[in-house]
Amino acid sequence: MIVAASKPFQEIKQMLSEFRKICVLGCGSCVTICHTGGEKQVAELAAQLRLSAKLEGRQIEVKEDSTLRQCEWEFIDNIREVIEDCDAVLSIACGVGVQYMAEKFPKIRIFPGVNTTFMGGPTEQGIFWERCAGCGNCILATTGGLCPVSRCAKSLMNGPCGGSQNGRCEVSQETPCVWNQIYDQLDTQQLLKTMETIVPPKDWTTGAENHPRKMVLEHLVVKKQIN
Amino acid sequence: MNTTGTKSDKKTDEEAPCIVACPIRQDARDYIQLIARRRFQEAYQLVRSRNPLPSACGRICTHPCETKCRRNSTETPIAIAWLKRFLGDNFSEEISKIPIEKYPERIAIIGAGPAGLAAANDLALLGYSCTIFESNSTPGGMLRMGVPTYRLPRMAIDNDVEFIKKLGVEIKYNTTFGTDITFDSLKKEGFSAIFIGVGLLESRTLNIEGVQLDGVIRGVPFLHEVNTTGRAHIGKNVLVIGGGAVAMDCARTALRLKPDKVSVASLESRKEMPTTDFEIEEAVHEGVILHNSVGPKRILGKDGRATGLETLKVKYVFDEQKRFNPAFYDGSESVIDADTIILAIGQASDLSFLKGQERIQVTRSGTLVVNPTTFSTALHGVYAGGDIVLGRGTMTEGMAQGKKAALAIHNALRNTTLKDEKWNNKTAVSDIAPSRIALIKKEQKQEMPTMSSEKRLDNFDEVELGFSINAAVKEAQRCMNCGAGAFVDDNLCVGCLTCVRICPFEVPEIKKGDTTAYINGDCQSCGLCVVECPARAISFKTPLEDQGKDTLQAALQDTFIQGVKPLIINFYCQYGAYNEDKIDTINNLLFFHVRRVGVLGLGKVDPSLYLKAFELGAHGVLVTACKDDTCHFCKEQEWIERRTKFTAQLLSGLGMDARRFKTHFISSQNGKEILDIAFNMIEELRNI
Repeated sequence: MIVAASKPFQEIKQMLSEFRKICVLGCGSCVTICHTGGEKQVAELAAQLRLSAKLEGRQIEVKEDSTLRQCEWEFIDNIREVIEDCDAVLSIACGVGVQYMAEKFPKIRIFPGVNTTFMGGPTEQGIFWERCAGCGNCILATTGGLCPVSRCAKSLMNGPCGGSQNGRCEVSQETPCVWNQIYDQLDTQQLLKTMETIVPPKDWTTGAENHPRKMVLEHLVVKKQIN
Repeated sequence: MNTTGTKSDKKTDEEAPCIVACPIRQDARDYIQLIARRRFQEAYQLVRSRNPLPSACGRICTHPCETKCRRNSTETPIAIAWLKRFLGDNFSEEISKIPIEKYPERIAIIGAGPAGLAAANDLALLGYSCTIFESNSTPGGMLRMGVPTYRLPRMAIDNDVEFIKKLGVEIKYNTTFGTDITFDSLKKEGFSAIFIGVGLLESRTLNIEGVQLDGVIRGVPFLHEVNTTGRAHIGKNVLVIGGGAVAMDCARTALRLKPDKVSVASLESRKEMPTTDFEIEEAVHEGVILHNSVGPKRILGKDGRATGLETLKVKYVFDEQKRFNPAFYDGSESVIDADTIILAIGQASDLSFLKGQERIQVTRSGTLVVNPTTFSTALHGVYAGGDIVLGRGTMTEGMAQGKKAALAIHNALRNTTLKDEKWNNKTAVSDIAPSRIALIKKEQKQEMPTMSSEKRLDNFDEVELGFSINAAVKEAQRCMNCGAGAFVDDNLCVGCLTCVRICPFEVPEIKKGDTTAYINGDCQSCGLCVVECPARAISFKTPLEDQGKDTLQAALQDTFIQGVKPLIINFYCQYGAYNEDKIDTINNLLFFHVRRVGVLGLGKVDPSLYLKAFELGAHGVLVTACKDDTCHFCKEQEWIERRTKFTAQLLSGLGMDARRFKTHFISSQNGKEILDIAFNMIEELRNI
């Protein structure tokens, strides 16, 4: 899932300072699960905005809404009436949702309420870790199911660097050295030999080097404009 | 009608066991939850909306609800009946609008006992003109004739009946069916339907040697005589034969007539006796001697007077098919001396009113045959219910019959199919999972204050004195709100697992094959998941759990406070504030600067509500929660601390002074501590 972190309120306030009719819009998927963009956060942000305006003696109207996924034209079309009735929308979806909103409602100012951070998941309640970098060429089959692209600070492909200390990464003591973990995992699976195969320089053109990427499923394409 | 509007669980449609167990489907859980929140008047109205005789019922009901109460698993059941009595004794409902008689048909009701009164009550509310014909000079039927005043003071019956009369029901006393009025005369008078609820007026007798001797008397006439005159002719050594409620009533009534000794001879063992433990315990406590597992062989006598009962030891009371079929040990005779023997072995019907009326069918045991759905006898327009149909029933079973018959009469007269959804057979919430019992805090049951045993035998005054407000609230707060806790809306749940991971009682789960969470009936209503669910997919089934929202709005509605500075909103835990004597004093002392928002467990309060309080005009928000050792739930303190920190961050983002939002964990919400904290905060806010 996509993990996003709340923006500092001061930044949000600054972005919205000139608007009087605002909708805080949540997204019911990834950002709900990571507790930054769900209906609960919509209510909290809306309450903060209202209170902030009250403290400064400003009159504003803050609406609260949410949709299942802001990255689907049909879902955001369902809330058209609410959106078009506002001067500005604070979208607390990931960057994808914010862009879909901006594209769908070109006359309305759409602002991001969260910083989209990474693809990952909760390792325990309230703690999220990055797990995938979207490199476009998955190598998990050879690394014991642990991704060095997203979990190694240097995205190394052939074992740890010299900064691996007692199983920890030199960049942050909190971060486990993923190559240490890969070694242990392959050892458990009696596959340590695979580490002897040298991985050639990774082709990054399948990943972030090649923006924007596109995927076409020929068998599903229908010639109908849905935007 | 469920006036609290509790939603049912869509997946299971389970209901609280106390409600399912009740013959009239009294909303026990919901009125208890209202008492727990000190909303007494609403609680009374809820009780009364289902139960025409709440004061009487709160005293003598056999409370099957308590038998099924899930608090039995953790320690002892909630005192459901005593809480109802508390409401009946202390509250009443002003009838501002007498139901309009919408329909021209008049209904005759025979007998002002539980069945007849319930039928009249419900028919009046449906819009019919009802007349009750009662052979006695007072209402209540067997409640008055059979139940001793020390258990049921007559004012309790009179209060209840007065309310029914206010609905427009007319009661004609000293009017015996079969002699003063008949089927024909009622028809001639223009009654469109007749409901027979005459009860069982006769006592059963024993077919043994000696029953004709002087000193052998029947239980119900004995009780009737004492209940109406305050005395009866008995000897010095009284023996009651029987093991049920009437036998206990006879024994305890006889004790108050000051004989030397009162004993009870019961076929059943103490465990098998067909009455409540409480009644047996009270009888023994007062001095009644129990002879269990003995059967009457013959009554011994001398000079035409009874001198004792020869008994046989009981082998078994019920046979292998669980039928009543007592067997005795040969040669086990022994004698219990007695000069008065009261037969309390069951009641029988007096069907003399049926004379000349052959169409109404009668069973071999002397009860009337009715269609179990329509309560109609074979005679057109004549209905029957209560003990005369059941043979032997409790007060609530009698009322249930009256209520069902009222609806059936309405449907027959109007040719409609109106239904009362309460009679639907819902499944009761299942027992608490054994692994969860240890996680639920034990809460001591409140004792019922009683008259001292020395005092009580001198009179027929009520023995149980009733709950104080403090005791009632404390007792009600033990309720686990079964079947009305949190539930997940499948359409909103995103399967984030937050509820599964944070519930201190480990209730939510995602069942195999499901993608959304499920919260079963073990939910304790602590509200942590409701607040933390990021998708707002979890809510309480009962609207009583407003999570402080409505209370906050109400607290700030007073225009007077708009000019008050500083104004503090105090969110406090109602579990820590059951003490009536202090709550008003505290509220008065704090009144000028502090408005209090009580919530039954602060784990239910969302941080955004604290912001809302500021938005609505508060200058400070003070959260006073209970300390962990006094907390009704578990892990609340930890979560309230987390939310305090989180709320402080939100407010800090707004540039608000940290002194405006405070959380304290205190021992009592009504003690001096809260005053000190609040006054300090007022001073601090003045300096900002």
